[in-house]
Amino acid sequence: MSELVISSLSISRSELPVVSEINARVESGSISVVLGANGAGKTTLLEGLSGIIPVASGTIAIDGHEIQKARPGQRSREGLAHVEQGRTIFGQLTTEENMKVALRDGSDLSEAYGLFPELLQRRTVRAGLLSGGEQQMLVIARALLTRPKVLMIDEMSAGLAPVIVSRLMAAVRKLADAGLAVLLVEQFAALALGIGNRAYVLRRGRVVYDGDCKTLLRSPDELHKLYLGG
Amino acid sequence: MNSFLTPAIAGLAAGGTYALLGVCAVFTYRLVAVVNFTGAAIGSAGTFALIALTESGYPTFPSVIAGILVGAAVGVLIGFIMTRWFAEANSSTKAAVTAALLVGLIAIGLRLTGGQHPRVMPDLFPGSAFRMAGVEVTIASVLTIGLAVLFTVLSDLFLNRTRIGLHLRALSDRPLAAELIGVKVRLLSLLVWGATGAFTTFALMIIAPQRSPNFMTLSLLVVPALAAALVGLFRSFWLTLAGGILLGVVEGLASSVDSISQYRSAIPFLVILAVLLWSQREARWDEAR
Repeated sequence: MSELVISSLSISRSELPVVSEINARVESGSISVVLGANGAGKTTLLEGLSGIIPVASGTIAIDGHEIQKARPGQRSREGLAHVEQGRTIFGQLTTEENMKVALRDGSDLSEAYGLFPELLQRRTVRAGLLSGGEQQMLVIARALLTRPKVLMIDEMSAGLAPVIVSRLMAAVRKLADAGLAVLLVEQFAALALGIGNRAYVLRRGRVVYDGDCKTLLRSPDELHKLYLGG
Repeated sequence: MNSFLTPAIAGLAAGGTYALLGVCAVFTYRLVAVVNFTGAAIGSAGTFALIALTESGYPTFPSVIAGILVGAAVGVLIGFIMTRWFAEANSSTKAAVTAALLVGLIAIGLRLTGGQHPRVMPDLFPGSAFRMAGVEVTIASVLTIGLAVLFTVLSDLFLNRTRIGLHLRALSDRPLAAELIGVKVRLLSLLVWGATGAFTTFALMIIAPQRSPNFMTLSLLVVPALAAALVGLFRSFWLTLAGGILLGVVEGLASSVDSISQYRSAIPFLVILAVLLWSQREARWDEAR
């Protein structure tokens, strides 16, 4: 059982605090959803967790091993995968080359093709020419090939057709059911809460809700209040 | 006929060096996204390490190896500065930093190597390789062109056929995304800087006896190198190779014409200007419409 434990985590940008005193836990086999309005600190939280920006204070631990001082590459090798927003494919490389970059001992391209068979037909195509949905599948598949314990995905649904978003959400649920710990940042709250187990709502960089996804899904008014305050 | 062929062939050695330095510049730009003005200065450091060792009585071959290692080490040092403090900077800032480092390297190099007085550089490959149309082709010409072709072929093979090459291509595309999936970005970047430093040093060691080997002259070979890289639009190794060789040949030809021979060192600047104007043509056309 793998888990990511975040304790009293604060992150600043240009010395201005963006995320403050976050406590959260992401467990193996479950999806934790991070929600919040624009500017709430969701992306900053993920960037701090993966080491893109340094944390000001607090700890990040995978299976009890603290990683908050490690560089992004080292955190990846410790089992933390971060799928950034904006579908950060290697556009000059083919689909298959994109995945081969991420291959580790013990991982196999067939795992990625098993999850997204669509990519198999497009394996020799330059990744920059793939559709938005295929590119999103590719970056998730690429992250999986690093054999992560924890998979963090930022704004997976942005700019995609609803049918593709449903397909991706189902794939993420399947990964969690297979034992992965998933931390999902989403703008579309209903979709994310529908597949998630635990929800965190951020407002102005602080957690204002920490609880069950289904409870929040049944109370849209409550969710609205949490987003806007008051 | 020979009045043109002789100077053209004489320009091949310089052309081979421009080509190799240009290919190294493209290699650095494509893989670590830096327009590197220090390339030739790094090679100069290694070349002057060779001169210092041979002047101190050390045998030539071990001194060449030591010089190449010094060039690689200076390359790694510059790479360390760029990856440690300027990894997230935009390409203009990175280019400006390497231009500043070039000035620093030249200042230090001139101070350590006795100013602009030419030093005695051992001719590593003296003599003629063969005759072509009645003109002697020197071993230095053959070697520099051969080295440039070898580096071009190796670069292509390395980038397209090896796992490290694949990682480098990913790194050049999106450094942060590559790092996030565990690619050892800093290590690979330093490898690129070290390898180009070593190749550049060897190229300058070959050509130095035909130049006035002072630190500044050799360091400023970066100008024709960048002109060659521009011919390849900083992407194509083969066009850069061709551009470098052609530039050397044109320089050689210019040296045979009395009225322009004194201005032949301006040819790389003309090439840079011409390529930049040509590359802007679509923007200008769009603007005009």
